[in-house]
This record gives sequence, C-alpha cells and structure tokens, in this order.
Amino acid sequence: MATTTQVDLETRMSLQDFLYREALALDERRFRDWLEYLADDIRYEVPVRVTREALADWELTPTSRIFDDTKATLEVRVQRLETDFAWAEQPPSRTRHFVTNVVVDPGDVENEYLVQSNCFIYRSRGDEPTPSFYSLFRKDTVRRTSTAPGWEIARRWAAFDQSLINAHNMSIFI
Amino acid sequence: MTSSVDRSLDDELQGIRQGIREGRFPARAFNDQQIYDLEQDRLFSRAWCFLAHESEIPAPGDYVTRYIGNNNIIVARTEHGDISANLNMCRHRGNMLCKSEMGNASHFRCSYHGWTYKNSGELIGVPYMKEGYEGRLKRKEWGLVNVRVDSYAGLVFGCLDPDAPSLEEYLGGFQFYLDFYLKQGGEGSEVHGPPDHWVAETDWKICAENFAGDGYHTPVAHQWGFNLGYFPSSGSTHSQGWAASIPGLGHGIGLGHSPNFPPFGGFPDDLAERMKASFTPEQVEVFSQVRTAVGTVFPNLSFLMQPFSLVPGESGVRFVTMRLYHPVGPGRMEMYSWCLVPKDASQEYKDEAYRAYTLAFGQAGTFEQDDFENWTKVTRAAGSTMVKNVDFPYIMGMESERDKDFPGPGHVVRPYVNDTNFRNLWSRWADYLVGEV
Ligand SMILES: [Fe+2]
Repeated sequence: MATTTQVDLETRMSLQDFLYREALALDERRFRDWLEYLADDIRYEVPVRVTREALADWELTPTSRIFDDTKATLEVRVQRLETDFAWAEQPPSRTRHFVTNVVVDPGDVENEYLVQSNCFIYRSRGDEPTPSFYSLFRKDTVRRTSTAPGWEIARRWAAFDQSLINAHNMSIFI
Repeated sequence: MTSSVDRSLDDELQGIRQGIREGRFPARAFNDQQIYDLEQDRLFSRAWCFLAHESEIPAPGDYVTRYIGNNNIIVARTEHGDISANLNMCRHRGNMLCKSEMGNASHFRCSYHGWTYKNSGELIGVPYMKEGYEGRLKRKEWGLVNVRVDSYAGLVFGCLDPDAPSLEEYLGGFQFYLDFYLKQGGEGSEVHGPPDHWVAETDWKICAENFAGDGYHTPVAHQWGFNLGYFPSSGSTHSQGWAASIPGLGHGIGLGHSPNFPPFGGFPDDLAERMKASFTPEQVEVFSQVRTAVGTVFPNLSFLMQPFSLVPGESGVRFVTMRLYHPVGPGRMEMYSWCLVPKDASQEYKDEAYRAYTLAFGQAGTFEQDDFENWTKVTRAAGSTMVKNVDFPYIMGMESERDKDFPGPGHVVRPYVNDTNFRNLWSRWADYLVGEV
C-alpha cells in the first residue's frame, strides 16, 4: 500500500460519501436500497479469526467464513428479513455503523478502487440496556459506474477484531 | 463437605429424575448456578467430551486448544502421529502454556520460568536444573496433567474419569447414525476449516436438546425457509420420520423424511454412489429415506445434515455441521460450529456445501440466527424466580410402540415430531447429576 495518497480529493470524497450513504441504508433498514449499492458480481466475505501466535502465517482463516455471500445469497437474506418470520430481527436490531479511517488506493483494474476503512458497529436489541459493539476492518473494492449513485461495491471483505465474538447471532449486515 | 443446600439439591434431583420418566423437566435446569456447578463436578468431569476432529490436526506438531468443562486442554498430534491431550497448565507454577487456539509446535515452553514440555506432555527442560534443584527434581514426575483420549471415525474425545467405560461402550451403537456425518463419500469427512466461535447467553442444554431431534420447532422457528421454498420440506408432511435414541446412554437423533425427497438427494451422484458402497445395507436403507438428520452425542456434541436450496422448491445441496456447546456459566455458553465435507468430493461440491452451511448455520446462518434468538429468550425466562417450580411437558411419544421393522439400532419410534429422545437425554443427564453413572 502506498504511504501517501495517489487518488484525487474529489474521488476520495465521493467514495467516502458513498460508504456513508451505504451505512445509512443499513442503519435505516432500507435493505432493498442497500442491495442497489452492491455490484451484481459482489463477493461479500467475513473471515473467521483464530487466535494464533505472533509469527503464525495467518490469523484470519483462508477457508472459514462467517459470511460467504454473493448477490444471490444476500438477496435471500434480505427476502427473509421481509417476511414476518425472521425471528432474529423481531424486534429489529438498532444499529449504527461508524465508518472511519477511510484510505483510498487505485485498484487492480481501471475504474476500481481499494477502499479500506474501520467500521465500528453499535447494536441495541429490544429493551436490553447493554448494547453490543463490534469493531471491524474492511477492505472493499469499489467500482465506478455510469449510473447513480456512481459507485458499486464489487467486493466487501470485513474482519472482526475479536476471535470469540460476543453476539448470540449475526443477523445484521457489516 | 456437603452443605444443606447440596443435600436438598440431591433430593430435588431424585424428584427431577422421576419427573423425566413421567414426561416432565424443570425449566430452572436451563439457568441455575447450582445445576451448573453440579454439571461441572459430576457430568463434564466424568463423561466422554468432544475435543477435536482429527482433520484439524493432520500433521505431527499440529495442535488445537479446547475445553472439557472449565479445563483448557491442548490437543496435539505427537511426533509419532498419535493424539495426546494435556491440561494447558505448566506443572511448575501453573501458567498457561499455550496461548493460541491452533498452531504447530513440537514442544511448549512456559513463559514464566521456562519449563519445557514435548507436545505429548513429557517434561524435557528445566532451567537451572542442577544449580536450583540439586538433583531432587525427577522430570518424569512432573509432566503435564494428561487427559485420556479415544476416537471414533475422526472424532477425538477426552475423558477426565479414569474409571469410565471405553468410548465404544459409551457411544453404544450410536456410531451407526454418526457414520452418516462422518463417513461421507469413500474416504470419510474432514472439517472445511476452523470453527465459527461465539458466545451466547444460552444454556448449552437447550442446544443439546434441540439437536437431539427437535423436528417440532422447524416449521415455526424456521418458517421463512418453508414459506420461501429454500428448505425442501413442507408443513403438511414435516412430522414424518423417526426419532432414534440409545436407551440409557443419552444419545439421540431425529431422522426427518419427505415423501418427495429423492434418496441421497442433494449429494452429487458419484459421491452418493461411493457413500452407498461404504455403508452397510442397513445404513443405506435408513439414510436413503432421510432428508434431515439431526443428532446429539451426549452431552454436548451435535450434528446436522440437511439440504438447502437457492432455487425454491428444488432439493438443493446437502451440508453437514458439527457443533460443540461449551458451558461457561449458568445460561451462558461458547458455541463452536464446523462444516464437515466429504474428503473425496470435488472442490466444487465442497464450496457449494460450505456456502449452504454459512447461509443456513454458523453465526450468520439464517436458521442459526433464529434458533439463538429463541434460545436466549428461553434461558432468560428459566432464570426468573417464578420459574423455580415450573416444569415443561415432555410427553410426546410416551405411549409410542418401538418401530420393530426399522433397520437401525436403538429405541426407534415414529413420528419425527417426538419427545422420546429428550426423555432419554435428560434421564442420562440426571443419572450423572445424582452421581449414579
Ligand atoms: Fe433450529
């Protein structure tokens, strides 16, 4: 990764704004809108983290995924949330995605950017006074499109900073 | 020393035992400090408890750290290729030896005073041995605290009780059903990768019961899957199938049948053929009629095989999940969830099965999500004061005749929707808790 930016300010601002609007769609539970932010060929992956020694060759497993989704399977998840029987989200989780530390680099292909960010998620359930917090690092590939909103996520890769995750389920999106 | 509280709990447990025979089980058992303590003392310290799948530690030096009760255990493949399990505690001053969940190491060196052990547990290195101990320390006497291990078809179990019967005797015929999960394809099963691992405010027993064959919850708890057609069963026929249990040993499995589901449907044809060739004729007869196989090895290891389809109404793809419910307090547990795949399947099928697994099970799985939402609510209610004397009914199948024509072992009844396996599970649990195993 470059130590200084190689991407112009306007592009960086536009990508940041795109990620904020994407997060807003999730937090406002506009899941159909959210799907519009995702490319048809999206890979949506959340690897399983394992506690390893400092010199181990990986801590994020190359094979295990908490989410291992395509556009089709994300559509199944959204379709499920639209039924009356998605008990995990009855009542719905109240989430707030805090997206910070956005770093933009040119991608491997023209019109694609590697967008790294920190994502901190606040999740409140029902009348439980103690919310859950999840801290993640995201490495997205975002592609420029000719139609609004001008960008689409071609790859979302997000890793929890915990290996033992403090959530009875993961019925929200990252 | 037995306190008066303990004595009254023992009396109470005798009553619970009688209640189970009559089809009742107390709600409080699912969230109670005294029960939890007793489970640590009398159940997890005496039963055969699951540690690892052999495919997690294939090469010499490979290890994982797991738990039996509240004991952290290093499970390692030694330089000789066998599997050794030892308490993850230095014998010198008790420091945790291995701080990672998996890795490869021929030996472990304590970060406190430097005592060093082979991964098989032998003490091989003591700093200032001559100067400090002056010949008084015998290395042989200070190896790691060893755990008895045994395995079946890739499953490695440990037992803290030296007098417990063999694993084979402990499983007592349940192997017939376990083979469906563990001997997929011609070369058996392997883990797809390290397990999902999360904590939940859920009592481990709720999960153990659900996976011992709770076909009853599926059409409601997972109604979205039925309604949208992703789960190939229908509400009108979902009660069909069998409940099989090993009497007196606690193990049980639910075998769900769908009239229109093809034999070995959801597996690639060539894989199904190799599977049929490796199973006994009785196993082929049973497994060919099964859409869902959901079973628990007493006390806290479960398996599920079921299909999931992205094309509504089709058979979909079969996947297998293995799960371990590790109790960490009353009404609180750590969940380990693996996907098992056939070793000799195509990469394409392995990937497809894994995708189906993550969509349905694992922490973000759509079926798993709803189960844990329900289970945390059950756990919360079970801890409330009004529940102290409330029982739940376990009377389904009380009068059921054994299905004598069924080719599989154990006590087998119809239909799939049944409490028979749960009465067997809870009476075994009660046997351990009263100390009569
Ligand atoms: Fe379920």
